[in-house]
Amino acid sequence: MPREIITIQAGQCGNSIGSQFWQQLCLEHGISQDGNLEDFATEGGDRKDVFFYQSDDTRYIPRAILLDLEPRVIHGIQTGPYKNIYNPENFHVPKDGGGAGNIWALGFNAGENVYEEVMEMLDREADGSDSLEAFMLLHSIAGGTGSGLGSFLLEKLNDRFPKKLIQTYSVFPDMTNGGEVVVQPYNSLLALRRLTQNADSVVVLDNGALTRIAADRLHVQEPSLTQTNQLVSTVMCASTTTLRYPGYMHNDLVGIIASLIPTPRCHFLMTSYTPFTSDSVNQGKTVRKTTVLDVMRRLLQPKNRMVSAMPTKQSCYISILNIIQGEADPTDVHKSLLRIRERKLATFIPWGPASIQVALTKKSPYIPMSHRVSGLMLANHTSVATLFERVLKQYNILRKRGAFLEQYKKVAPFTDSLDEFDESKAVVQDLIAEYKAAEQKDYLSPEETGEGHA
Amino acid sequence: MPPTRNDRIDEGLSKLIEYILPELEDEDEDEDLKANALELAQARAYADDPAHIANIIKNKLIRDNRTSDKALRFHNLYSRLLTLPLIKQKGAILHLLHELSEESERNISSRASERNTISRASGRQSTTAADSRAPSRAGTESTRRPSKTTTVQDEDEFDASVPPKPFLAPERGGGKTGEPTKAALLAGVNPPLDPSEVTLLKDMPFTLQGVSSKNLPFSLENTLKLPSNLPVPLISLLHTLAEPALLYRSLSAFVEESGAVEDKGGLVGQSLSAAIGNELKAYLSLVAGLEGEIRRATASLPEDDPHGLAVRKAGVTLRRCMIWTREATMGLRLMAAIVGESKGKRGGKLISIIHNFSTSHGDPFVFNFARRLLTSVTRPFYDLLRRWVYDGELIDPYLEFFVIEQSEEAIMEANAERRGHASSVWQDKYKLDTEMIPTIMTPEFANKVFLIGKSLNFIRYGCEDSEWVERYSKTTSKALSHDDYASLEQNIDEAYKTTMERLMHLMNKKFNLFEHLCALKKFLLLGQGDFIALLMESLSSNLDRPANTLYRHNLTAQLEHAIRGSNAQFESQEALRRLDARMLELSHGEIGWDVFTLEYKIDPPVDVVVTPYSSREYLKVFNFLWRIKRVEFALGSAWKKYMTGARGVLSSVADKVGTDWKVARCCIAEMIHFVAQLQYYILFQVIEPSWEKLTSTMNKPGVTLDDLIDAHKVYLNSITRKGLLGGGSTSKSRQPETSFLAQLHEILKSMLAYKDAMDGLYSCSVAEFTRRQATSALIDARTAAGKWGVTESDAPYDHAQQLKKHSLRNKKVDISDSDSDSDSDDGDLPGVRQRLRALTVEFQARTAVLLGDLANQSDTDMRFLGVMFSFNDFYVVKKGKGKTIVERRSAQRGDETPA
Repeated sequence: MPREIITIQAGQCGNSIGSQFWQQLCLEHGISQDGNLEDFATEGGDRKDVFFYQSDDTRYIPRAILLDLEPRVIHGIQTGPYKNIYNPENFHVPKDGGGAGNIWALGFNAGENVYEEVMEMLDREADGSDSLEAFMLLHSIAGGTGSGLGSFLLEKLNDRFPKKLIQTYSVFPDMTNGGEVVVQPYNSLLALRRLTQNADSVVVLDNGALTRIAADRLHVQEPSLTQTNQLVSTVMCASTTTLRYPGYMHNDLVGIIASLIPTPRCHFLMTSYTPFTSDSVNQGKTVRKTTVLDVMRRLLQPKNRMVSAMPTKQSCYISILNIIQGEADPTDVHKSLLRIRERKLATFIPWGPASIQVALTKKSPYIPMSHRVSGLMLANHTSVATLFERVLKQYNILRKRGAFLEQYKKVAPFTDSLDEFDESKAVVQDLIAEYKAAEQKDYLSPEETGEGHA
Repeated sequence: MPPTRNDRIDEGLSKLIEYILPELEDEDEDEDLKANALELAQARAYADDPAHIANIIKNKLIRDNRTSDKALRFHNLYSRLLTLPLIKQKGAILHLLHELSEESERNISSRASERNTISRASGRQSTTAADSRAPSRAGTESTRRPSKTTTVQDEDEFDASVPPKPFLAPERGGGKTGEPTKAALLAGVNPPLDPSEVTLLKDMPFTLQGVSSKNLPFSLENTLKLPSNLPVPLISLLHTLAEPALLYRSLSAFVEESGAVEDKGGLVGQSLSAAIGNELKAYLSLVAGLEGEIRRATASLPEDDPHGLAVRKAGVTLRRCMIWTREATMGLRLMAAIVGESKGKRGGKLISIIHNFSTSHGDPFVFNFARRLLTSVTRPFYDLLRRWVYDGELIDPYLEFFVIEQSEEAIMEANAERRGHASSVWQDKYKLDTEMIPTIMTPEFANKVFLIGKSLNFIRYGCEDSEWVERYSKTTSKALSHDDYASLEQNIDEAYKTTMERLMHLMNKKFNLFEHLCALKKFLLLGQGDFIALLMESLSSNLDRPANTLYRHNLTAQLEHAIRGSNAQFESQEALRRLDARMLELSHGEIGWDVFTLEYKIDPPVDVVVTPYSSREYLKVFNFLWRIKRVEFALGSAWKKYMTGARGVLSSVADKVGTDWKVARCCIAEMIHFVAQLQYYILFQVIEPSWEKLTSTMNKPGVTLDDLIDAHKVYLNSITRKGLLGGGSTSKSRQPETSFLAQLHEILKSMLAYKDAMDGLYSCSVAEFTRRQATSALIDARTAAGKWGVTESDAPYDHAQQLKKHSLRNKKVDISDSDSDSDSDDGDLPGVRQRLRALTVEFQARTAVLLGDLANQSDTDMRFLGVMFSFNDFYVVKKGKGKTIVERRSAQRGDETPA
């Protein structure tokens, strides 16, 4: 059996995204709302067992674990149209269901209470797969549950499954508008430390950018949560196409991210997707005919990035992987690559070979697409550090005032001291420094790097 | 220019009249007569139909001669006269001649002379005809024709001057002038001929039939012995007459030989000899007629005419015989020429020879004759053609057809010669012999015919669908013949279309050619990525071992497992049945990776397209791709190991080996990048476009099996060539052993070595990690015991040793990641560093060479690969004089590439 991936959805955001993701996957694979294959889904070629397993009555069941500390979203899923596809044993909502109150520490601490139960779920799922390759965590880092419980899980996964890849789809808060949660800088910083130290690949999704893209692309002033979630689920589906439609290359997660992430620290990936149409997003506008060149050029445009990073002049791509779906002619890809190179539309690191890698994949035969080709870009770009800088800056402002710390001081890591904050800050600073260094020609020369010799 | 022509005719006529009437009247009267005659002719020219006058003359001839012979002959001459464009007033001329004959009859009242006049006149006519024809014939029979013409003309001179005398002589006798005729004089002077002309004349029919007679014995095979004591004119006559005789002899000998078909150049040769036999029969009947004539003439002759003067009166002379046999002689000559040229030739070539006569020859006689011959000669050929085109059977025991069935040995030989290049029944069973294609068909046409038959035969035997062939042959089979070339062509075209359609239908539907090609692409060209990944993963531990410890059943079991575990399980059973995992021939010291191969078995008749040669090519490509995949797999799992390691073990020892890791990781990243680009190139620049081309060719309407075979060949070729498997770099400055394939192998090898070295680094790091854990555990223990955490005895150098021992004792520490040499000393680290550095240098140097070679490629796709390797201009290619230097951008600072 192939490289299975177990999905963990934590918190409201993670579960919303997740349910959208599973819905999309079901559509793409022709799986009906009760988990059975649709009658029309006869065309082989897709691999459902990466994300699903088959129960005894041949229903497809997602390899998903749904966790939350308050029941609202999960309850929504349990009563929603796709309620029957999930394994009912894989839901976890505490009886008291008070939530984490947007406090990272509460979420993190709640982890200890659910640890046994969650690990049991994880072990069960891991046992059910032949060659488990990775865990995929869906969460946001602004709130309490996704951020706190997510962080806890990342640490525990590390201990429990030291050899499995851990990928996260992390939704960063919108930091330009202050955000809906006042303590989000604290939460983000603390979660960022775990993302840096305990995850192998983080797909950064920035709520600000998502809203902006939704507004731009869909012409909606106030995009609904469903719409932004659809953006995210589209990206998630697209980034896993090569896993689900096996081809010559990129058939496993390692194959995808190994070429994207050269050094362990710099594992924060940006995404771009084009075009967003009503096929994938409600009320998406129809797009005129797309060519491979159009798609590949648009993917490089900052406005299509799902991260509101502020690139500087030194910012550059460490690596790019474009996943092109649809009827793309390899010769068009070839021409587009040469064009992009000629016009220097993308700047790369100066210290090693880097290029735009392209994966051409099938698209689902069950979902009509109004456009010929669509593309997803997974990119490792140094400007993602600016996002972290913003987190750090806002954290510094809050921390200087010592605001809202009481809630944190009540629980575990902070009962004695606030060292955890400082340590996290140091990690994030290191991370930013690492990205800065990667923009330099002499990244590899020992004396100038941040890491010293023994 | 009518006036000139008229003048010429006038002049000719005057001369003619002068000859005929030299002494009848005096000059004036003669002139008058001439004028009269001409006027008469002029006057009647328009009034009289030439046919009418011809009729009158014919009737007269019949009346006078009591046989139709003369009349026939006249008719013959007349018809030729009609076809002559030069002479316009044909009626008038005939009338004149008629008048003249009447005139002379009136004047001389001698039937004999009158007959002679007519015959001479007609002789004259024939001469004119012959003359006018001569130029056109001169071209082809230049060696013979002139002499012939001169002979005829000489005859005429002779004729013109001599004849009047003999027939005047009896009347005038010696009395009138006392001047003896030349003949009489000659008769007087010369002794009587022995044998006399009469005797010769009597012998002539035998001679003409090629039978020896007393006087004219055929000595050897092709020699007619002439009596030695004859006068020269007679000898020359006999020479001329000997020609048909000898030709007949040789031709009949040729015809008689026909007993053994083998010697005759097969069926076509046989039918040629049959056709010639028929022609000879016609000739013989002519001779028979001649014989009758001679007999009649000689019967009435006095016995004692030593000079044969009487013969002339009888009207049958040797000269006449000669004239009568002239046309037949030409036919014989033509046949002899054909027979001569056809010696040793057979089938198509033979037909070509005859066909040449019928097309390229201007002489209508030759043309028609050859045409007649061709129709009968090509009959067996068309029979062959029909069998071939409608049944796909080649029944050609005498190897006459332009399609040759190869013997088994020849096929083997051909295979050996081309190193098994495209050896197959389809390719080699039949051969088109271009030399044997008769000129009656164009090469394209012949090729079509060849393909039709080959396809039918292949459908019947290769595809075992003889039912269809039989049905087809029953419904469509038509007699083919040379008469209607246009409809023949149409028939062939139709047959071509149906056959090709059927063949393609069979290939696609019955034998699932396309599916096989897809399966080949999926399995041997690694298109089914999940299957390959699974296979590699499950086999990797097996393949790491020496090749001689591998067992086939293990391989097939893993193959089964990989099929079941991947989407390959949805392939048709048919395709999966053909898939096999095996080992190449082992040689000493190899490990499993070197000898493992997948195989996809191809059965006939699909092996026509996927020939054994192509199968080998597929294997080559597979092994190359498999090797790349293996490196990708190794690098990927290494990356995963170090990546997940970085979360735990490695992060805690970053202070000591962090930089090593960073450099090594970037080097691995460079390798991963290299492999990814290489694979991308092979997949999307090489395999996919070639596949695209192949499928578009396959889906084209009217595609033939040959097109398909060619398309597939091109497909494989472009994969092997562009896939860097080809003969190597084209730049001559390089050694042949630095072909791309060899270079890539070296690069891939150094990648694997680097990976191993990195594993060493990992072990060192883990060792360091455990050491630290042990130290802290020791310190904790001491602290707990109330002692100093670190004591004097933990001297820096001693320290390590002690820690090591300690760590060995405390196996509790999780060192599951470490390899067997996890307890390796710190002293390993410099060695590992050294190795990593050396390998980095090697890898980078090799990459630089490869990039330099790629930059010098003429193929744009291959240059593109070079560009992709260096998409961000990391490698700077500097082209100098005949030398290309590739530099790394960061190497300019000289930090990571020492030396």
